[in-house]
Amino acid sequence: MRPLTEQETKTFFEKLAKYIGRNITHLIDRGDETYCFRLHRDRVYYVSEAVMRKATSVGRDQLISLGICFGKFTKTGKFRMHVTCLDYIAQYAKHKVWIKPNGEMPFLYGNHVVKAHIGRVTEDTPEHQGVIVYSMTDVPLGFGVTARSTSDTRKLEPTAIVVFHQADIGEYLRQEDTLF
Amino acid sequence: MDVSGVLEAHKQKFKSVTVEGKIIPVEYDLGLLAAYDQNPVDEGELNKNKDEYLQSLSRDNAQLLFNEIFQLPTISDDNGVMAMLPTPTTLLPREKPLPKPKPETRWEKFAKAKGIVKRKKERMVFDETSGEYKPRWGYKAINDDGTKDWLIEVPAGANPMDDQYEARREAKKERIDRNEKRHQRNMEEAAVASKLDRKTVNKGERPNMDNARAMKRKELESQILITKNSTASVGKFDKAIEGDLKPRGIKRQFAPTITDLSKEKAGNMNILDKIVGKNGEDLVNVRKAIKATKRQ
Repeated sequence: MRPLTEQETKTFFEKLAKYIGRNITHLIDRGDETYCFRLHRDRVYYVSEAVMRKATSVGRDQLISLGICFGKFTKTGKFRMHVTCLDYIAQYAKHKVWIKPNGEMPFLYGNHVVKAHIGRVTEDTPEHQGVIVYSMTDVPLGFGVTARSTSDTRKLEPTAIVVFHQADIGEYLRQEDTLF
Repeated sequence: MDVSGVLEAHKQKFKSVTVEGKIIPVEYDLGLLAAYDQNPVDEGELNKNKDEYLQSLSRDNAQLLFNEIFQLPTISDDNGVMAMLPTPTTLLPREKPLPKPKPETRWEKFAKAKGIVKRKKERMVFDETSGEYKPRWGYKAINDDGTKDWLIEVPAGANPMDDQYEARREAKKERIDRNEKRHQRNMEEAAVASKLDRKTVNKGERPNMDNARAMKRKELESQILITKNSTASVGKFDKAIEGDLKPRGIKRQFAPTITDLSKEKAGNMNILDKIVGKNGEDLVNVRKAIKATKRQ
């Protein structure tokens, strides 16, 4: 467990900013408790200071997980977000997509979101923007990246992909062992 | 006139020149004007009155030393009578440590293994042509490796127009150069070996030349890495060459896990400012603003 280096922080924030933009500030600077990001076995954990201090007494090999896993660094140095961070990024998301009940299951099985399944979209979502996917009952289901901007979506046929799948809560079952 | 009484009185003023009560005879090294008294000190006497006892002891021993000196053969001189001191017998310890043996050169090692013994040759050799002795080698040598022959046969298969003197001079020069290189190599190996010696002295290992070569290589590699980084950007923006040396054994440095979190937070904020600013995320959504104004 160690703090992120400057380069790591940069790649991590760049990815995170695609979803919540400037709202990362609220993660860093919280009113209730001091939280920090810590790297452990290539994974970035969002953890309170108290828990982090306690975790220092656990050996590196023995420590499995701490706090909330936000994602991991790939071997090529890119950052990949895990669905475990959904609660935090859903809270501060700038752009959202709501999908109809008939589209929920395909998305939760790891498929992209097609136009026919979309119920509602945040206005003026640009292309390749990170979005949070909600069910129509406002339950966050996962997140993805828009394939087209909102205005371009209107001209598309119903089977066209609108949101590329990134992570969904079905992964809690599918990737149980590697997620945290 | 009887002066014996006067003499006796005079004598009484001085202590006796004979010293008694030495169980072990005192040893002398008259060359160093030294006497060694091996007799144990009388402890009761010493504790009673220390100064007096030590004074009397040293006086007695000094007396014994003077007695010995007066038995030496003397010579008379303008300056007076002088005793002839013998050569000192006491061995003094060496002031400096023994010089270390010189590290063996490659040839010396080879010769030792093969049992080749160096035979001494005279420096001066009789030159029949001039009829006098000349040095075997060096300045004004007798025949400088065949370069002073008055006639050289053209070797079989050689170009008759070639200068054979020139060829011999060249050959000699080459030999000298090669020897110079060997000398250089021996020096380097010796330097490394002495360095290894200091390292392995506690382990009782003998430095070997494979080690020496490896060490030399390591040294060179580190030097290359230093020169690579000696650019204006400290090597950051230099093009990487394929198959180039990679720095080994350089550990990455990370910030400590537990630090002042407010400082870490400030650093994170700084990075965030840079990123969000770069992405062009503005406070005003321009498209939305245009739409809103159009509606009005």
